[in-house]
Amino acid sequence: MEIFRVGLLLGVRQIQRTNRWTTILIIFVMMLTFLNLVAVSGILVGLIAGAERGVQEKLIGDLVITPLENEDYVLRSPLLINTIKSDPSVLGVAPRLDIPARIEANYRTRRNLSAERDITSTRIVGIDPTAEEIVGGFSRNLAEGEPLVPGEEGYILIGAMMIDRYTEDFPDIASSLTDVFPGDTVRVTIGNATKEFVVKGIVDAKVAELTSSVFMSQSELRRLAGRNDHNVSRISVRTERLENATALQARLKGLGFDADGKIQTFDEALPKFIQDIKNTFNILGAFIGAVGIIVASITIFIIIFINALSRRRQIGILKGIGIDRRAIEMAYVMQAAFYVLIGSALGALVIYGFLVGYFDRNPIDFPFSDGILVAEPLDTFNRFIILFVVTLAAGFVPAWLIVKQNTLNAILGRK
Amino acid sequence: MELIQAHNIRRSFGTGDLRTEVLKGIDLTVHEGEYLGIMGKSGAGKSTLLYQLSLLDTPTEGAITVAGVDILTLKEVKRTNFRLRTLGYVFQDYALVPDLTAAENVLLPIVMRGASYAEALSTANKSIDEVGLRGKYNNLPSELSGGEQQRVAIARAIAGKPKILFADEPTANLDTASGQTVIDLITCLNREYKLTVVMVTHEREYAANCHRLVHMEDGLLVGEEQL
Repeated sequence: MEIFRVGLLLGVRQIQRTNRWTTILIIFVMMLTFLNLVAVSGILVGLIAGAERGVQEKLIGDLVITPLENEDYVLRSPLLINTIKSDPSVLGVAPRLDIPARIEANYRTRRNLSAERDITSTRIVGIDPTAEEIVGGFSRNLAEGEPLVPGEEGYILIGAMMIDRYTEDFPDIASSLTDVFPGDTVRVTIGNATKEFVVKGIVDAKVAELTSSVFMSQSELRRLAGRNDHNVSRISVRTERLENATALQARLKGLGFDADGKIQTFDEALPKFIQDIKNTFNILGAFIGAVGIIVASITIFIIIFINALSRRRQIGILKGIGIDRRAIEMAYVMQAAFYVLIGSALGALVIYGFLVGYFDRNPIDFPFSDGILVAEPLDTFNRFIILFVVTLAAGFVPAWLIVKQNTLNAILGRK
Repeated sequence: MELIQAHNIRRSFGTGDLRTEVLKGIDLTVHEGEYLGIMGKSGAGKSTLLYQLSLLDTPTEGAITVAGVDILTLKEVKRTNFRLRTLGYVFQDYALVPDLTAAENVLLPIVMRGASYAEALSTANKSIDEVGLRGKYNNLPSELSGGEQQRVAIARAIAGKPKILFADEPTANLDTASGQTVIDLITCLNREYKLTVVMVTHEREYAANCHRLVHMEDGLLVGEEQL
């Protein structure tokens, strides 16, 4: 106890008497270290979290029903959709019908009939525009043109990744249509049926499945494909709260609908590779953070070492008059603790008081997602503990090195 | 009663051809309540002897008993604790902690002995009063003159009521008037409180109040006089 009290007194007074600007600079360094530790990995993870959020908000919804293995469609889709709609927590249900197709553009202006046709294979997604608006705010995904209107026929929306001017920055991994703009006419072929459609808009949403598909009215798609069964390829559900989705999932399973389709919440529906990327980014973030911690610990080591070295004689005198060396070491550890506590507190203030909200309102514009800053409080606390412990060690070691020196040599300034 | 018994104290530095023997076999006894002066020219080994007797250094050879304890058998932590509880020090250049106020400098060893901060502060202020610096409790060392700093150092040394006060040329950095004040204070502590004092000095006039003077030359005790 005496050791702690004497160490506290010495530590506090050393901090008080240290040059104010030096103290501010050290705290600033610690704050940057904390930001580096939390924010860098937070942004890396936020890239994926942003992509996840995009997929949830624009495509999957809170609950999604997809075909069972070995099935192409969700069985008993109409009954299932009606059952879902009857749940009071459901805000919207968007059934989608996917059918492979080919699209050809510029066929009217092609002069040389032996030249390569401007054609690409894709999936046509038959949608209910009103339901899509409720579940995923579909119209917000339009980069050009206008959304589909319920009941209207002869129009399609084309995903941006199928248009060459949107894919210039990407490797040429799939063929795309050249110079297609809203108002142009394209030819859609499903099986043996072919029909001309007017391009009404271009969909660009940083969700691959949306930007690489073509959308049209579901009823028109059924007619074109000759489908009369009313089963669909996917049912996306938006609920009031995320917990409602879990309850609804249980209810549907209880009613036996899990024999008709795979009923998954958003989390369950996420592909495994997304979680793998997230883990990889977490490791990458931890590595970058570790480098930051090493830099911070070296900084603290140097600061405390110089501080203790410049007070070597004073340390010798303290030992000479009977002050326990542990109390002297504690004084320096307390200084390190002060710097890391204040620096981390300021860092946390910057992260939670500004950065998280800022990136939420202004996501970072990455090609495949709108990156946000992910800083889970428990993760942040764990990282702070690591930084705190490492900093204390970095404060203790130089103090220990100086304090253990011969007392008389220290008093007399001898080497 | 014998408070310090030193037998055949030798202290050398360096090795081989560079080995220098600073103390060459000293026998010395200090009695309880005695005011002993160690005199000699620069390089005679006075301070080195004081460091051996006060546990700040360890002799190369010899035996030292202080207050009945064979101090050469003590490990580092026990030596520190022994210094804290039994000895007081006054160094040439005051040796105050510059970050602490006068009162804090004095209370530090008292808190280390286990007193509460409030008790220690009260004792420290009384000690500062005793050395004639009433009202200077909250002054930093840099705000005090050399003589005042040395008096704070004495206050720190006596606040814990040590058995022996070691003073290493306490007047060396002071003007004559301040030096005399410090010497008067040390003399007073010896006379009023029967505090055993071992003081190194090379100025005869400051040793006038000592009970006994030992003279050193070239690492040896060469003479002794009772005053």
